[in-house]
Amino acid sequence: MSISHANPRPAAVRLGPIWLAVPAIALLAVFFLFPMARLFVLGIQDGATGGLTTEHYQRLLTTPVYWSILGITFRIAILTAVFSVLLGYPLALWLSRMHSSRQTIMALLVLLPFWTSYLVKTFAWMILLGNRGVLNTLFMDIGLLDRPLRMMYNELGVIIGMVHAMMPLAVLTMLPVMNGIDKRLTLAAGTMGAGRSERFWLVYFPLSVPGVAAAGLLTFITSLGFFIVPAFLGGRGQTMLAQTIITQVQELVNWAFAAVLASLMVVAALVAIWIYNRFFGLSTISGGGSDSTTPGNGPLRVAGQKILRTMAILSRPFDRFDTRPGATERGFRLYPVLMLTFLIAPIFVVFPIAFTSASSLQFPPPGYSLRWFEQYLTSPVWLSATLRSFGVAFATALFATVLGGLAALALARSRSRWNGAIFALMLAPMVVPRIVIAVGLFYLMAQLGLVATNTGLVIGHTLLAIPYCFITVGAVLKSYDWRLNQAAETLGAGRLTILRRVTLPLLRGGVISAALFAFVTSFDELTVAIFISGGLKTTLPKQMWDDMFLQLNPTLAAVSVVVMLLVMLILLAAQKIQK
Amino acid sequence: MSRPGLLNLNRRTLLAAGAAALATPAFLRRAWADQSLVIADPGGPFTDGYRKAFYEPFTAATGIAITGVARDAEPTAQFKSIVETRSYIWDVCTLTLSARLILEEQDLLEPLNLDQAKVADVMPEAVHPNMLGTDVYSTVLAYNTDTVTEAPTGWNAFWDFERFPGRRSLRRNPIDTLEIALMADGVDAKALYPLDVERAFKKLDEIKSRIDVWWTGGAQSTQLLESGEIDLIAGWNARFQAAIDGGAPAKIVWNGGLYSIEGWGVPKGNPKADMAREFVAFCAQADMQAKFTDDLAYGPTNLRAYDHIAPERAAILPTAPDNLKLMSLASEPYWREHRAALSERFNAWLLA
Repeated sequence: MSISHANPRPAAVRLGPIWLAVPAIALLAVFFLFPMARLFVLGIQDGATGGLTTEHYQRLLTTPVYWSILGITFRIAILTAVFSVLLGYPLALWLSRMHSSRQTIMALLVLLPFWTSYLVKTFAWMILLGNRGVLNTLFMDIGLLDRPLRMMYNELGVIIGMVHAMMPLAVLTMLPVMNGIDKRLTLAAGTMGAGRSERFWLVYFPLSVPGVAAAGLLTFITSLGFFIVPAFLGGRGQTMLAQTIITQVQELVNWAFAAVLASLMVVAALVAIWIYNRFFGLSTISGGGSDSTTPGNGPLRVAGQKILRTMAILSRPFDRFDTRPGATERGFRLYPVLMLTFLIAPIFVVFPIAFTSASSLQFPPPGYSLRWFEQYLTSPVWLSATLRSFGVAFATALFATVLGGLAALALARSRSRWNGAIFALMLAPMVVPRIVIAVGLFYLMAQLGLVATNTGLVIGHTLLAIPYCFITVGAVLKSYDWRLNQAAETLGAGRLTILRRVTLPLLRGGVISAALFAFVTSFDELTVAIFISGGLKTTLPKQMWDDMFLQLNPTLAAVSVVVMLLVMLILLAAQKIQK
Repeated sequence: MSRPGLLNLNRRTLLAAGAAALATPAFLRRAWADQSLVIADPGGPFTDGYRKAFYEPFTAATGIAITGVARDAEPTAQFKSIVETRSYIWDVCTLTLSARLILEEQDLLEPLNLDQAKVADVMPEAVHPNMLGTDVYSTVLAYNTDTVTEAPTGWNAFWDFERFPGRRSLRRNPIDTLEIALMADGVDAKALYPLDVERAFKKLDEIKSRIDVWWTGGAQSTQLLESGEIDLIAGWNARFQAAIDGGAPAKIVWNGGLYSIEGWGVPKGNPKADMAREFVAFCAQADMQAKFTDDLAYGPTNLRAYDHIAPERAAILPTAPDNLKLMSLASEPYWREHRAALSERFNAWLLA
């Protein structure tokens, strides 16, 4: 469908680039906007008469608790975004300096925690951070502490859990941008006498800002909708908005008020995007405006330049440390090891538990056995759920990358006044809490006969994954040189050929990242699966959820281990083939 | 169906869409398999327990095949959508008493027309025109026997840090928590409702800052007891039993427990309602109910079931006569009326 828009034959009508966004817009309009609009109408409709009412909004305005919860939600989301980007930046930088083959393997390591269900990860953190948990026991045994440190059931616990979940996203969003930075630029700055600080702060860093900005917004907006982590790792002060929406939908069955709270969340996110746009410009994400070779000279830009110069001056004294060749690399090694340890920490718990002989998550295990693997591999229910999850995730990765990627391409090339609206639409599924999307989708899909079908699951997951694909591809497009297209065109290449032979190869890193994000989004998705599967078409996270009714049993750990190994094999094989 | 649903797409469009959908092969398959029921239960150990107790015996007796599927923890949203869109992906579904009230108010439940003779031995609280309770669960106190050396006898132990030192955990929900506070303050379990909310919050104020964990999910409460993270905890008996079965040094205190009931409901307008009703009535039998207690630490509602249950197993079930007499029924009508307001107040109280 999209390809026909890029029809190279001169006889065809040459449609504007904005048309590339149409498939994604159509999907979102039917399966996202329409159900959301219906929900929104519920929020202003009188339950008894069907007329208009403002009672639900009045309740929101007059109940201060929702405003404190909104404040807490913002605070946690901002802290998560800041730490994810701050801690992830040096890691991404480290990755970007590697040869591409080694980088792929290391990036897989960063992604590794993604392949364990986040339910399992959260429980692993509970085992690690608890009062009698692994870390406290360790610290007390070596005499570092004399009484347990409270690392969980407070804000610290929530931030640890959320940064852990979001950092891979931040790193993989920044990485393609950093890969696109021409290394010779810093080299050139060096030959002109710039020190290490100036080379980084005045040359490299500004070029990486689009990646930083995209990662920040992405992690912030995703964090707004979190509920499992604050519920399990938080204390009494950490209630987030999504939790209250779930209570309204599931416990109180007050969909009208749930709709009001959901619109509050959407508005909050839109305001955040608007503020962000004022300071950084959305073009840093969408890739728009990348043609312009003359940078503006607004006051903000001047201020930004000043800050960077100050940073360069402040860090100059450190330039002198260890100026021997290769020293940077060595000093640079400890940090990534620390960060990778942090990312993989829950897996250190999950692996031994998969081999436990006990029927609980006791850690360290009292004995070892293969019984949980046997249970998993001999259960037709678990195996069919695994197969379905892989299938649905592959299909989702394909559709979301194509649709989201084309939409990013459309916005990067188009100067239409609709750009802003399309941009907001593409990000919208990320902003609305999944439980709200799930309820709306279930309602629509039940009418269309799509409930309990694989098609329904793929559609649901695709619309959840589109924002990630859109942003990731958009970020690499930002540094894409469109003059290459012109050059190709003057050499006689048609649009399709340009896309296939010039654009796609150059965007490869971003497209692969996008596909991975989409795959992971689907593979770990629970809420929509609970509703759309109807209990009949079970995916892996849904099966895990069902299985942990009474307690988290070690089958989940065994499943996680098998899935992780399978995914690693597939990705490594894919990389072999590429060569 | 007169109330405005999620969507007031007009009914005729819907019927037309439904008719079109009926013409597709997937729906044909469903129509062909008319001698079968899809039954939604909470999954996990429930699927095993119910299969042995209800599904297999029912199929053996009637020839009607049963597919057990796992439903969401709170299926009300799904239930509502199933009825309003008339897509009956489940024929029968387990409900809690509170879900029953919500669904009844919105007219989403099919009447069961239970034969009174067949349910004569079932607890009266479990028999409703549109729901038949099959199992009883209870909110109880559990403690770590390694760290709490003196056995607590009631909720006041939770407030007594001198005699019962240790880390404590309550559910992050006003339901049961307010009742617990009142009982600890000396209110008689039979005279809890309507709740003296002011008194309850005042009592909770005393320990608010000393509660180490406010748990939210059932599996989490099991993990808290199992790992020794906390020493005293209020929660559902079966979740604690899972920890005890897993070898955790812990005990349950039945005194002051608040029980509630789970059972079958049928979505309104289900074309297979007659068959579904037959299944529900089947589940009232004592010997059938006794069978699920091997897998589930829930109490049968037909108290004659205890004729078929070994005494050591009975000791851990909420409806065993020795346990049941120590507990009282949580009031669903009270909570239906006040839940929204009290949830808001409880959240504000937690954040303050």
